[in-house]
Amino acid sequence: MTTGARVEIIGLTKRFGSFIAVDDLSFTVRPGRITGFLGPNGAGKTTTLRMLLGLIHPTSGTATIGGADYRTLPHPLQVVGAALEATNFHPGRSGRDHLRVLAATHGIPDTRVDELLELTGIPAFARRRAGAYSMGMRQRLALAAALLGDPGVLILDEPANGLDPEGIRWLRGFLRHLSRDQGKTILVSSHLLQEVEQTVDDVVIIANGVLVKQGTMAEMQGGGGILVRTPDPDRLAAALTERSIESGPDRGGALLALTDDLRAVGEAAYAAGLPVWELTSKAADLEALFLDLTAGGNRNLGDGVTGQEGVA
Amino acid sequence: MGAAVKAELLKLFTTRLWWGMAIAVFVAGAAFALLFAVLFTSESLAEQSGPGGIPTGDAVQIANSVYTGGLSVGYLLMLTIGVMQIGMEYRHKTITSTFLAIPRRARAMLGKVVALLIVAAMYGALSLVGSVSVGAIALNLRGADAFPSGEIVRTLALSLLVLGLWALIGLGLGILIPNQIAALLIGIGTAWIVEPLLGLAIKASDFGRDHVAPFMPTEATNAIINAVQSSPDDVRLAWWAAALTLAGWAALLAGPGIWRTVRQDIS
Repeated sequence: MTTGARVEIIGLTKRFGSFIAVDDLSFTVRPGRITGFLGPNGAGKTTTLRMLLGLIHPTSGTATIGGADYRTLPHPLQVVGAALEATNFHPGRSGRDHLRVLAATHGIPDTRVDELLELTGIPAFARRRAGAYSMGMRQRLALAAALLGDPGVLILDEPANGLDPEGIRWLRGFLRHLSRDQGKTILVSSHLLQEVEQTVDDVVIIANGVLVKQGTMAEMQGGGGILVRTPDPDRLAAALTERSIESGPDRGGALLALTDDLRAVGEAAYAAGLPVWELTSKAADLEALFLDLTAGGNRNLGDGVTGQEGVA
Repeated sequence: MGAAVKAELLKLFTTRLWWGMAIAVFVAGAAFALLFAVLFTSESLAEQSGPGGIPTGDAVQIANSVYTGGLSVGYLLMLTIGVMQIGMEYRHKTITSTFLAIPRRARAMLGKVVALLIVAAMYGALSLVGSVSVGAIALNLRGADAFPSGEIVRTLALSLLVLGLWALIGLGLGILIPNQIAALLIGIGTAWIVEPLLGLAIKASDFGRDHVAPFMPTEATNAIINAVQSSPDDVRLAWWAAALTLAGWAALLAGPGIWRTVRQDIS
């Protein structure tokens, strides 16, 4: 069981001709946490991950794992496990044989292959030719491949794509187990916020190759204000104003205080002699926030800068 | 390094391609040995040989030709394996997992080269089992000397080298022409049709016949194994010079191909 290393992206840039796929991107992925790497399709997520894994040469900037360039790792599969695209299997080779080929590059025994096929729940299917696999099976096989060398860092590109709800729930639990119980560093990309919302601890959002926002999920979820119900909202509003907390009326006669400090609101109500019927921190509408952050036009649609689907 | 080679060999032996090729190589070896053994020992043909354009040669050349008769098909099969070894990786995008496992790409490609040479030697041995067993029996039955000289052994060993070098030519083609089907058609078309026609044109001039034609891949291949000659006027390289020439062709195609693979973005 290997605990994770820190992944650091510093000033990473990739140009394909005149097209800037990734533009001066910097962020950090911390060990023992699951980081969601979010952005609409074509935002540059896959290009970033491929640069991190030494598959694409950056125009400038660096991407390191535990301070090292992926290409300098002597036994990379034991440091980083990556599942990039779940479709990358030879259709005539069985899933098990695909893993055996990978295992052979690192001298990993076949027993480890079978162990992982059990763990990802595809031991029987894995002996059939990969051409007949469903998307969900490919995802599980790709995950098994990533875990082959028991790496401390996992990099998964859209791992929930094509999984059924049961599969998504399984993946969620599995990733949590790997990060919380085993301390692995996990970076999960997705173009759908709700897919990772319940799983990730940290979020990095990019759009059009540029970093839009990064922070913990808790920070992202905060900022929605505090909803408070009391018999006399106007008096409470005045009491809050005294403590320089702005507020405004909300639905159903409630008051929305524009702060994250539950305690300050409670104390203001107490000082004003008002009973409190409800006091809740209101989560920001993440979906709206995500759409808002990544708005401003998808560069891959409409304006002629197309033909980059393969790299983005 | 050894691990990279082992993984590459495992890649080949975990798809159906390998045993189809094995059957083809064995059958081609046996069938051509039988055909040539009958053809080159035919008295009526031998009498009118030479000017009539019928291939001629001494006992050694005949035995060489019989045992390596399947080679003309064999080396194209190796060319195919070379093209497909890398072509499949591009087509099914497994090149990504190959370079994730071995990010030092030159090492990964060297693993492919060594694996191709091993595979070619294995197929070559299989082809020889077919051609020598069938050919020796056929030559004996026709009253010809089945093993006229120790040179035969050298020829048999060199035929393995020929197959390995053609596999590397295929590897180079497979990288330089990323579309697998196009690479196969161009490779086989060039070896079987374009080069012989080009050879005829080149041989029309004395300079071409003496200084250009012998260095063509197929001509060099025939010189290495010292097969029968279709025209006694043709200039032939010594076996070692021919081997170097074919190795040069393999390096010319595989070298830039590997260099390109090491540098390119895999997306």
